[in-house]
Formats: sequence, structure tokens, C-alpha cells
Amino acid sequence: MKRCLALAVVIAAVALLPLLLDSRGYWIRVLTFTLLFAAMAQAWNIVGGLANQTSLGHAAFFGIGAYTSTVLLLKFGISPWLGMLAGGALGGVAALVIAIPTMRLQGHYFALATLAFGEVMRVIANVWTSLTGGPGGLSVPFVPPSFSAYSFKLLRPHAYIALAALIVVTVVFEMIRRGAMGYRLRAIKQNTAAAEVIGVDTTRVKLQAAVISGALIAMLGTLYAQVAVFFDPDTVFGVASISIRIALIAIIGGVGTAAGPILGAFFIIPLEEIMNDLLSSRAAGLSQLVFGIILISVILWQPRGFIVVLGSWRARLARAVAT
Amino acid sequence: MTILDVRSLSRRFGGLQALSEVTFSVDKGEIVGVIGPNGAGKTTLFSALVGLVRPDAGTVILDGKDLAGLKPHTVASLGMTKTFQNVALFAESSVLDNVLTAGLLRHGVDAARREALSCLDRVGLRTVAHKQAGELSFPERARVELARALCTAPKILLLDEVMAALNHAEMAEIMQLIRALREDGVTLLVVEHHMRAIMDVCDRILVLNFGRLLADGAPAQVAGDPQVIEAYLGRSAEKARR
Repeated sequence: MKRCLALAVVIAAVALLPLLLDSRGYWIRVLTFTLLFAAMAQAWNIVGGLANQTSLGHAAFFGIGAYTSTVLLLKFGISPWLGMLAGGALGGVAALVIAIPTMRLQGHYFALATLAFGEVMRVIANVWTSLTGGPGGLSVPFVPPSFSAYSFKLLRPHAYIALAALIVVTVVFEMIRRGAMGYRLRAIKQNTAAAEVIGVDTTRVKLQAAVISGALIAMLGTLYAQVAVFFDPDTVFGVASISIRIALIAIIGGVGTAAGPILGAFFIIPLEEIMNDLLSSRAAGLSQLVFGIILISVILWQPRGFIVVLGSWRARLARAVAT
Repeated sequence: MTILDVRSLSRRFGGLQALSEVTFSVDKGEIVGVIGPNGAGKTTLFSALVGLVRPDAGTVILDGKDLAGLKPHTVASLGMTKTFQNVALFAESSVLDNVLTAGLLRHGVDAARREALSCLDRVGLRTVAHKQAGELSFPERARVELARALCTAPKILLLDEVMAALNHAEMAEIMQLIRALREDGVTLLVVEHHMRAIMDVCDRILVLNFGRLLADGAPAQVAGDPQVIEAYLGRSAEKARR
């Protein structure tokens, strides 16, 4: 009950933020991307956290989503909302295709195989010029603003859509975590042979997790395309810009927990922006350097993520209230 | 009535013939012991029965159904599961969650939780249900492993040295539990090193040596079998002289 209340307060606070920020300004854009990346890291968390398979190829599904809805809009005038569903379906299929050969791999081997898959998708998008526009990228065409066309004059609606997406993905994550699938994934993660012997269909559960995660990420790709308005293969299929960033967000926040990716995103995305704002004019690469140093320090300080700090604060608060 | 029928089961690992034409059958409600010196193929036999190891040749029929090519989770749903010799718990999960996961084979989460608690009751571990499995002592972990296997509601349960490292009192408890399981209609196949325990609890004993079935009979009969004595103790001095 107390937890629900705390959750409601946090959601309400975030829901108020877009109203306080200048709707044409820079910070509402940062907020929108922060919420989007939190949702992406949460979708990644299904595979990376619950199944403990550190995927470095989730950009593949993300890019599929961004391209599917945008190409459908450009070529056939189909609303991005429908394009999002089509992209989700394609992303799920792609996740299945990649999961079948890679799911037996563990640890580094799984990470490398998925990384390679993401790169393959980036190369394809770069050369398949007739469909994707190649390295020149795609611009989402301007259509008269309306909700059904997923087109808005200001960023405020985008921020709310991103918030809704984060809530939906988080609910999906929590349902999986608490449900039968969560128990099965935790069992597989710790001892696959033992899980099989007590009746867990390890192959099927892993595939299910991969497909759900891939489909969700692809749908978020559409949201990204609609906010960014312009993108190219190197951004949506990027290793550093997407794959590693979402893994990093989940890891630094706390892998396998619902709060982890949210904490991680609200730390990393604004920090990156602030670093760029403060330092990029001083010396080339300085902002990345400082950003990197901060990340390393945080990981050394809390290897299991911010979630641990949150837990100890809560314990301290509880003790303070008790006395 | 035969519940498990094993015919000419063979499996080779590189140069080692781990199982060689092993043939036996088990009746419903029987408690059958499997003994043999180290490396005789007892654990490989169990792994092959549940589908963790694929046999090179031979058939396994469970309750009239051929298990050829089936994965362990299907074998479990057909009613046969095993415990692991070295104890293979989900160490970071709670004791309850370990057992609950097995209950999901036949139930939803809530029913599986109730089922898991009653299985923990049976092995006397309900009080530690919320402890992390990795924190328990070895004998306790072996009992969690047993509870987890029970929670799949097996028709036939293969126990691979669940009594290792137990003291006499604990061993007596487990033996009592094994007998109680038989009363409930569970058939048991038990690998154990502790001779007194196995002779006491089993209706019949299979002896493996170098992957071959050396003897199959009542405990007293097997204990007196010269071939079995030879496999365990080597040839008697008298015999060697001859």
C-alpha cells in the first residue's frame, strides 16, 4: 500500500514536469528522451536482467521499429501508430530469428553474437538505399498536427507519450518478473540443467523473453523516430548510441529490477546533456572524457547499481521514522 | 505393474563406455537402490533416464511411453525427475522460490506456492522457506533439492545421493520420508553410498560396475553375490591364489 502511494507520487511528479518546462525548449526534449531511454532500458531488462543475457544488439530491433513506421508513412501514408504495431511485429520476428541460434550462448559469447547482429542490420540499412535512404537517413514527413497522425506542434504530447510508454513497459516487466515466467527465467539464469529437469521448457521461455523484449524495443523505435523527426542508420542501429547505452542505463541503475532502468536513465541522459552543454566548447572530447570518468566512478562505488543506494536510503528513512 | 522399462541402454563418452546394454525394469511403488563403485555409471544412468544425456542406443519406456529424444522438461511433465548429486539449487533465490518453480510445471503461481510450502513441510524445512538457498548448510540444501523434485508431482523419482553428508538422525528422517513417499504411490530409484541405509530401505538393488549391470535382486541376495563383493572389495586372497 505504502509502495503504491510512493509510486503514485513519483508518477504524478514526472507527469507535472512537462507542464513546468518550456514546451518549445531544450529541457523538455531532454526529458522526453530520458523517458524514452528509460523505457528502452526496461524492455532490454527483460532479456538482460531477468534472463541475464547481456544483449549488445538491441539496436537491431530499435532501428527496425524506427524504419518500419517511417517507411510506411513515407510510402503509403500509414499512421505511425499502425506503423508502430507493424514495427513491433517485425521486431519480434527479428528477435526470434536471432534468438534461435544465439540462445545457447552465454556471457561474452552471447554479447558478441548479438553485437554482430546489430552491426549487420546497420550495414543493411546503409546499403539498401531504395528502402531506407541509405546513409543519408530519413526525415519523418510533416503532416497536419493530430493525435491520430501522431503529429504535434509542441514537444509536450511527445513527453506524455514517452511517459505512457515507460509505464506500459514497466508494467509488462513487473508482470513477467512476478509471474511464472519470471520464476522460470531466474531458474534458467542460475542453473539451466536443473531448471529443465524440474520441468522448465528452457528453450521456449528464453525465446518468449527475447520476442517480447525485441517487439517492445521496436515499438519504442517508432516513438523515437516521431520525436527525432530525422534519423540515419548510424543513430538508430548504432552500437554506442543505442545498444550499449541502453545496457549501460540498466546496469548502472540496477539490472533485473523495475526501478533500475528508470534511475539509470534519469542519471545518464541528463548527465550527458549537461556535460555536453558545459564542456564541449572547451576542448574536443572533454565532455565524453568527464562523462566516462563519472560512469567508472559510479560503477566502482556501486557495482550493483543505484538501486542499492535507494534501498539503503529507504532503510535509513524507515529507521528514522521508527525512532 | 511396470512403470519404468529400460532396455539395452548404452552411452559412450569418448573412450569410456559409461553405460553398456543396461536392462532392467521397475514396478510401480517399488523402492529400487542403485549401487556400484565410483565411476560405475550410476549418475550417467540417471541423466540418461531423464533426458539430460542422450543414450547412444537402447530404449526407456515410462508408463508405456517411449522417452526417446524427449527433453528433460517433457520427461518431468510425464512424471519422472531427478535430484542432482552435487545439489543444483538456484542459490540466489529463496528456498521457497526454488521449490515453487518446480510447482509451476502443474500449477499457476499461487497454487504452486501452496504446493511448494507443503513440499517444504514434508522435508521439515518450512521454517527456512524465506532464506536464500545458497545460505543453507549442505544437508539442508539436499533436502531443498528433494522438496523441489517432489513439487513436480513425480510418479517416479530418482534420488542421486540425497543422504550424502547427513548424520544418522537426518538420514533416518530421509529414509522415513522415502517410505512415506512410497505410501503415496511414488516409485523411487535411489543411488546411495551408505550401504546400511540402502539395504534397509530398498526392495531391490541394482549393481552397476564399469557401466554394466552386475546384479539385480533382493538386498540380501545382492549382498551375498560373490561378483558384487569382488567389484567392491577386489578378489579375495583365497581366490587370487588359485
